[in-house]
Amino acid sequence: MVTDGPLIVQSDKTLLLEVDHPLAKECRSAIAPFAELERSPEHVHTYRVTPLALWNARAAGHDAEQVVDALVRFSRYPVPHALLVDVADTMDRYGRLTLANNPVHGLVLTTTDRAVLEEVVRSKRVAPMLGARIDADSIVVHPSERGRLKQALLKVGWPAEDLAGYVDGQAHPIELDQSGWQLRDYQQQAVDGFWAGGSGVVVLPCGAGKTLVGAAAMAEAKATTLILVTNTVSGRQWKRELIARTSLTEEEIGEYSGERKEIRPVTIATYQVITTRRKGEYRHLDLFDAQDWGLIVYDEVHLLPAPIFRLTADLQSRRRLGLTATLVREDGREDDVFSLIGPKRYDAPWRDIEAQGHIAPAECIEVRVSMDDEERMTYAVAEPEDRYKIAATSASKMPVIKRILERHPDEHSLVIGAYLDQLDALGVALDAPVIQGSTPNKERERLFQAFRTGEIRTLVVSKVANFSIDLPEAAVAVQVSGTFGSRQEEAQRLGRVLRPKADGRQAHFYSVVARDTLDSEYSAHRQRFLAEQGYAYTIIDAADLAGPGEVNGPDWVDEPAD
Amino acid sequence: MPQDQPATLAAWLRTRSDEQLGALLLARHDVARPAPSDVVSLASRLAVPISVDRALDELDAATLQVLDAVLLSEGDGVARAELAALLPDVPAEVVQRGVQTLTERALLWGDDELRAPEPVRRSVRHPAGLGRRAVDLRVQLPRDLPGTLAELSAEERDVLQRLAGDRPVGHLPDGPATSGSPARRLLQLGLLARIDAVNVELPREVGLALRGDRPLGSPRVRPEPELRRRPQADVDRQAAGAAMEVIGRVGELLVLLEDEPAGLLRSGGMAVRDQKRLARELHVPESDATFLAELAFAAGLLDVGGAHRDEWLPTRAYDLWREQDLPTRWATLVWGWLTSVRLPSLVGQRTVAGKAVNALSPDIVRQTAPAVRRSALAALAETPPGSGLTPDDLLTVLRWRTPRRADRLAPVPAVLAEADRLGISVGGVLAGAGRLLLTDGEDGAADGVRELLPEPLDHVLAQPDLSLVAPGPLVAELATTLAVVADVESSGGATVYRVSDASVRRALDRGWSATDLHEFFARASRTPVPQALDYLVDDVARQHGRLRVGSIECYVRSDDHGLLSQVLGDRRTAPAELRRLAPGVLVSGLQADEVLSVLRSSGYAPAGESSGGAVLTRPPAKPRAAGRRPGSSAPPTAPRPMAPGDVTATVREIRAGDAALAARRTDPVRQIPGVTTASTLELLSRAVADGLPVWLGYVDAAGSGSQRVVRPSSLVGGFLQGFDEGRGENRTFAVHRITSVALVTEATG
Repeated sequence: MVTDGPLIVQSDKTLLLEVDHPLAKECRSAIAPFAELERSPEHVHTYRVTPLALWNARAAGHDAEQVVDALVRFSRYPVPHALLVDVADTMDRYGRLTLANNPVHGLVLTTTDRAVLEEVVRSKRVAPMLGARIDADSIVVHPSERGRLKQALLKVGWPAEDLAGYVDGQAHPIELDQSGWQLRDYQQQAVDGFWAGGSGVVVLPCGAGKTLVGAAAMAEAKATTLILVTNTVSGRQWKRELIARTSLTEEEIGEYSGERKEIRPVTIATYQVITTRRKGEYRHLDLFDAQDWGLIVYDEVHLLPAPIFRLTADLQSRRRLGLTATLVREDGREDDVFSLIGPKRYDAPWRDIEAQGHIAPAECIEVRVSMDDEERMTYAVAEPEDRYKIAATSASKMPVIKRILERHPDEHSLVIGAYLDQLDALGVALDAPVIQGSTPNKERERLFQAFRTGEIRTLVVSKVANFSIDLPEAAVAVQVSGTFGSRQEEAQRLGRVLRPKADGRQAHFYSVVARDTLDSEYSAHRQRFLAEQGYAYTIIDAADLAGPGEVNGPDWVDEPAD
Repeated sequence: MPQDQPATLAAWLRTRSDEQLGALLLARHDVARPAPSDVVSLASRLAVPISVDRALDELDAATLQVLDAVLLSEGDGVARAELAALLPDVPAEVVQRGVQTLTERALLWGDDELRAPEPVRRSVRHPAGLGRRAVDLRVQLPRDLPGTLAELSAEERDVLQRLAGDRPVGHLPDGPATSGSPARRLLQLGLLARIDAVNVELPREVGLALRGDRPLGSPRVRPEPELRRRPQADVDRQAAGAAMEVIGRVGELLVLLEDEPAGLLRSGGMAVRDQKRLARELHVPESDATFLAELAFAAGLLDVGGAHRDEWLPTRAYDLWREQDLPTRWATLVWGWLTSVRLPSLVGQRTVAGKAVNALSPDIVRQTAPAVRRSALAALAETPPGSGLTPDDLLTVLRWRTPRRADRLAPVPAVLAEADRLGISVGGVLAGAGRLLLTDGEDGAADGVRELLPEPLDHVLAQPDLSLVAPGPLVAELATTLAVVADVESSGGATVYRVSDASVRRALDRGWSATDLHEFFARASRTPVPQALDYLVDDVARQHGRLRVGSIECYVRSDDHGLLSQVLGDRRTAPAELRRLAPGVLVSGLQADEVLSVLRSSGYAPAGESSGGAVLTRPPAKPRAAGRRPGSSAPPTAPRPMAPGDVTATVREIRAGDAALAARRTDPVRQIPGVTTASTLELLSRAVADGLPVWLGYVDAAGSGSQRVVRPSSLVGGFLQGFDEGRGENRTFAVHRITSVALVTEATG
């Protein structure tokens, strides 16, 4: 009776999928709707079944029977009954409550299970948002509470299905201009999934063309659109892309940022400007009411700041599209994304897209550098809070970084660091321009442009480069220091070099790490994260990289461990 | 009284065939050991209240209803032929079977006329759910009972109807005594009797009047609840999943306790703190951690041990257990559970004293637990394969089967839930292995799951993120090794191990070399060992051992290095086993006082130093509890069954003793004071029932004997009450002081 399925169900509701199994692909598509991919190293992928994931599946029209069937059918070992019951019970909680428009009473919360309604009515968290009782099964909700109610219901474990529909917003003609290019299959599927669901999140890896999904969604909505992005540079990129790929012209797209405050049929605003407060008040809230928006696009949903969640709660009648590379939020507010922006509507595995040739394959190399004795002593006696900086900015890294760049003389390279003095020193040593927070946007644009055209081969960048800058030609990234421990930062930096190359070359992602310090401790997290994302990960000693006899070669020989 | 009918139980027993006596001994085995010397002593044992209670407890509701019919009938007994008429709604074969069961167990006796022995009458407090007679309750019933009943208000009638159901005793509502609640008005009317401060009883006459033409209530036929059906193959698979889960979990729990034992509370349990820790580390709710610990304890894998016997530790049996294959491991667990006298579901509830019960505490021992479990599972096993019962239906069936034990059935829902968790059943449907567990015990259970549980694997999959995935249960040896070199991250069908610098260091500490580790990974992993893993091993090995720690017993130090060199070189100091650790310091593995005396005898003048600097360590050994021997872990659930040979031998013995007794028997029945024979009681109770005067030989408290004629009125609790005709007053006689007894009118002949 022990079948030879590819899936192993763990007690903690993680699912292990053996990738090399002949049924793996089939199994993956069966479990993907209700399980979040957590890790995808080479041989065994880990998926996690969470209540949110199960509700996402319910929202997408899957029922408990399908889920249980998928688990039982593909599981190699018998699945405990208790786990199956738990899955079915959890899924059953979604949709007992629905929000819908009633021709007489307006927005109404109805239930198919009176006991549930009674329970939530008595909940302290929910009760204040509910209005008059219409009958035993339905209750009036003020339209302004739609978002907050959904949030609260999710917190008490009875997520509501939102069928109240959306306003169309002010119409504005937008067409995709597919000359010389075409939407990829998965992009089209993502748009279809989103549009059918009304609101929700599309999960696509960095470099998989999320902007195009946004553009296609706009062409579907044909209405005024508000696009929220992480920063100005990425906002300009959106603008460029929209002009190139759609019927929109420069005049139709406004930028709403620290520098400019334009409101046009399509307006791109940064998170920062929206969350700017003066005297404790958000000054740019009017933006949301400035137009009768038909669609709101959230770029990088996993970074959406908390204040925007609060604002989003008031925008529940407008279509919302979230774009992200990962649903995992380091602040654990996945549930807010679910209740306020919407359930996951599409999810494509990173590796599959890479396999289809849409992302460059990447090789991750960690280079371990030994600090010299003087640095080691400085490090040993330093205050704990200074230690990381001392290790990360160790001068011993400098020759190694040079050596790495020498290995790839013909590639476009980015050197990424977190400490300004180190960046400046690198700029001087490598004879390369430095882009950091204080670099004016105009100058940044110019340098990026020069990098794209090949005028500049090497750029030294601070963490401004973490997000949403499209540098398709960058094939080598050297990370020298960072605010480690953040999974997103790793993914983003890696994303920089993962844009598909014209000739399909391999991308290289180097991390230069000082041995036996906090630096290498952090690198363990990075290694785990990247390996879990399925990247080949190699650790080498700086001495091996340089070859003995070169670049301080003899100094790298380890002292024998006695 | 017809003379050809036996007059007493003993006499009736004498007329029974050997087979019938054998059946009696089998059915009421508590009277069979040691073998009764004769029929009289057999009868007296059958009359012991505990034995009667036990026999009655085993009867189902239908049989008890037949007994009720006899007990309720006017007069001494009921003719067999008339019995069916008393139970008009009950199928004849059910009545027949009931009589058969009852007479076989000597709970009724007589061939044509069925009589109930007095202990049986006493043991059945409320036959057919009816109260005592009005006379016994000392109430004056209204003259016109039907008339009074007809005039009652609806709510008063309600109260009576309720008490006329299964239980004639009820609570008085709280409130001032003067209030005119229905119950109080009924008391005034004489329709209820007060039996103590808060309880009232419905007199039998009233109950019968209310029941009308069905004095025995509705027929108690076997309930036939609707079966819950699931494909047996699905059930078996899902149960096997649960089985794997529980085996894995128990193993993890014991590993945790091996690393850090839980403290033993003075009251005997495990501290809540430890319980919380286990739950946290296993990522399960606390109740689950409790259940797992209780399960391990029941299976003899966990017990009190340690140097001071104050810790909960895995036992030696655990070491054997973890080497066994999965089916055997599972069988050990479920058999331990089935036979355990502990009820884990009680943990966390409050005791009478208001204290929450701890896990592994002696407070949750219930001797009835194994019987309850077995009867619950046995009831499920009676359904055809692929079907079962919901907890509620199961309770209904069990209540019918042993109505007198209904109070013991409270744990049944928890028992079912535990059976589900163990993989014995799935949602009230027994798995094949669960059925085998009941019929064939431990071995059967193991055989039942053998096909369903995977064979242990001997390899893992190494991944670049430094995780090792064991895609199934591992052979014990590999699991042990992996436990050293990696940490468990997730468990279940598979186990995910993670190698970290800490785990590699741990392996190096246990004496592994970097080469050993490389070889181990290469051998154990079916996938190529990732470069990062090899690098990690080398990186940790490079640093390992740069600091050295050792243990010595004492040191010799001096600022005079020359002197130390002299001591070291001196042949006379060789017994001190000194060696140089660093300039100025010599160390020895011997005790300080030994070294001191060696140095002194060699002519030096050393001085002792306070032991501030010496570190004493001992190599760690895994602690183990002594544990119980497997099999002796739980007391036997039932006495050894009687073999057919035993039965016939016992019957033969009784017959022989009886023949001997007959030879010297005289009337009146004599007895040695202090030894109450059944025939004495039998005679006395007949006298009570028939209101016949008896002749008593009696010894009073002062020891002086007397003889008197008494008209007995009751025989309760070892005391005979009656009217002493000689003294002309009501007297109470202690039965154990009665030396002889005879019926005055006729039985003396």
